[in-house]
Amino acid sequence: MSAAIRTTGLTKVYGDERALDSVDLHVEEGSVFGFLGPNGAGKTTTLHILAGLARPTSGSASVLGRDVATADNAVREQIGFLPDVPGFYEWMRAEEFLRFVGDLFGIARPVLDARVEMLLDVAGLGGVDTKIGGYSRGMKQRLGVAQALINAPRLLLLDEPTSALDPMGRKQVLDMLMSLRGHTTVFFSTHILADVERVCDTVAILDQGRVVAQAPIDELKARYGQQKVVVEVIGGADEFAEQVKRQSWAAAVSREGVDTIEITVTDMSAAQRQIPAMIAAAELGLSRMDAGEMGLEEVFVDLVSGGRS
Amino acid sequence: MSGFTAFARKEAREILGTWRIGVLPGIVLFFAVTGPVLAELTPQLLGTLAADQFEGLALPTPTFQGSYGQWIKNLSGIVVFALIIVYGGVVSAERKSGTAVLVLTKPVSRTAFVLAKAVVHSAFLPVLVILGTLVTWGLTAVIFGQSPGSTLWSASFAWLVLGVLFVALMMLLSVLLGSAAGAAGAGLGAYVLVSVAAIWEPLGTYSPAALTKVPSALLAGDDVAVLWPVATSLALAFALFALAALVFRRSEL
Repeated sequence: MSAAIRTTGLTKVYGDERALDSVDLHVEEGSVFGFLGPNGAGKTTTLHILAGLARPTSGSASVLGRDVATADNAVREQIGFLPDVPGFYEWMRAEEFLRFVGDLFGIARPVLDARVEMLLDVAGLGGVDTKIGGYSRGMKQRLGVAQALINAPRLLLLDEPTSALDPMGRKQVLDMLMSLRGHTTVFFSTHILADVERVCDTVAILDQGRVVAQAPIDELKARYGQQKVVVEVIGGADEFAEQVKRQSWAAAVSREGVDTIEITVTDMSAAQRQIPAMIAAAELGLSRMDAGEMGLEEVFVDLVSGGRS
Repeated sequence: MSGFTAFARKEAREILGTWRIGVLPGIVLFFAVTGPVLAELTPQLLGTLAADQFEGLALPTPTFQGSYGQWIKNLSGIVVFALIIVYGGVVSAERKSGTAVLVLTKPVSRTAFVLAKAVVHSAFLPVLVILGTLVTWGLTAVIFGQSPGSTLWSASFAWLVLGVLFVALMMLLSVLLGSAAGAAGAGLGAYVLVSVAAIWEPLGTYSPAALTKVPSALLAGDDVAVLWPVATSLALAFALFALAALVFRRSEL
């Protein structure tokens, strides 16, 4: 499958600060790609370079097969972009603004009429007659998403699209992003992990300007996510924890409460067989035993904090 | 509709739909109305308020030249300052508010962004000057009974060229400097420099600096060279617009 976005050794330096450090990205056409990272990791810088608003210090970036340095109106016609804090002409109304953006794309009147009506509806701004200057941050964010879709883009670049939204607004935007899968490549930055887990096929994690991981979500969790068993025993938890630490399948053991032990395991089936046997042999009571994988959040925290330790 | 046309239309609507319609046209019309009235009333007011101090001094009879002089004096002073302040943020305000980012990620090139503004605002200024001159011309005819048109219009058009030059300069300064106040300060400094430069005869005859004194000279009926300063000013204005577009193309948002 061809790449909608490809960066190779992408580096951006502002003065003494290295905002991006040799970033390699490959975003397949038609995918929903989550670009994760803590604040200040370099997500906005990357999006600005991809949108042609900033130039790389070194390395290269291409969108839809064209180098961003030479991308012209023909490329911009196929891209929708939402900045982290979208700026609007506050004297306009939502419909006027969408029509203005549609005119910038040269969209024919009947098509534009239909799209404006549909997008105002999706953004929950149909029938809102106040000027944009009077909108809340959430309303502006929804209008920002709507304007990014006015040209039915082949590539949608979104910088923190859900950060200012309430739970209902977030759900609407995420549902809309999921509905675009297959037709439009969606590349969105965020630090809200639940959003990524919900809608993305693939994710890249950026920390301090470097990509620390990039893979389909399931693969990422399988690669970096360790499996855990949480055991709650009745009596003798300290002795049991010491006994578990000596097992070859126990990578780490920690206490979550007086009777609860969290075990990071390297061999889940061995742990599931031996833990009940060990409890029975020690003549302890077993009130709970849960087994599961680390979530994306734990993978993220592990990767990002790991890079800082 | 192309991106250039759509953006130029937005600029025009912004002039009509926001505070800009109030500021520059308000100032121009205020001076167009008050100029002839003040020219008529000033000698009478002086005579009434300070008759004992001007005893023996014959106060001049108000004439249409006084009315025209007021108009040109105000254009060359307060209107230029207002224009510099209003256009200090013509590009930087869009960068600061984030609207430039939204527009420039659509099929609108940076050159089209700057040139659309240049075209619209260079067309807006003549409308203001024509409107103001018409009001001055008409009121002068009503108050003084005579108002020959040729000197008034030629002086106003000479000032208009200077006005367009300053729109171009402010466009460049607004691209170069991030702050509207900084650009306005630099623009006011440039106006002072241009006025001082006009004292040196070669510059005061052939360069754009001559346009700071040509309108008054035309009103006075002096034989001044108009073609050179107009031609050099228009050439410089084009160069400044082109430079603004070039600098904006290379800048990061």
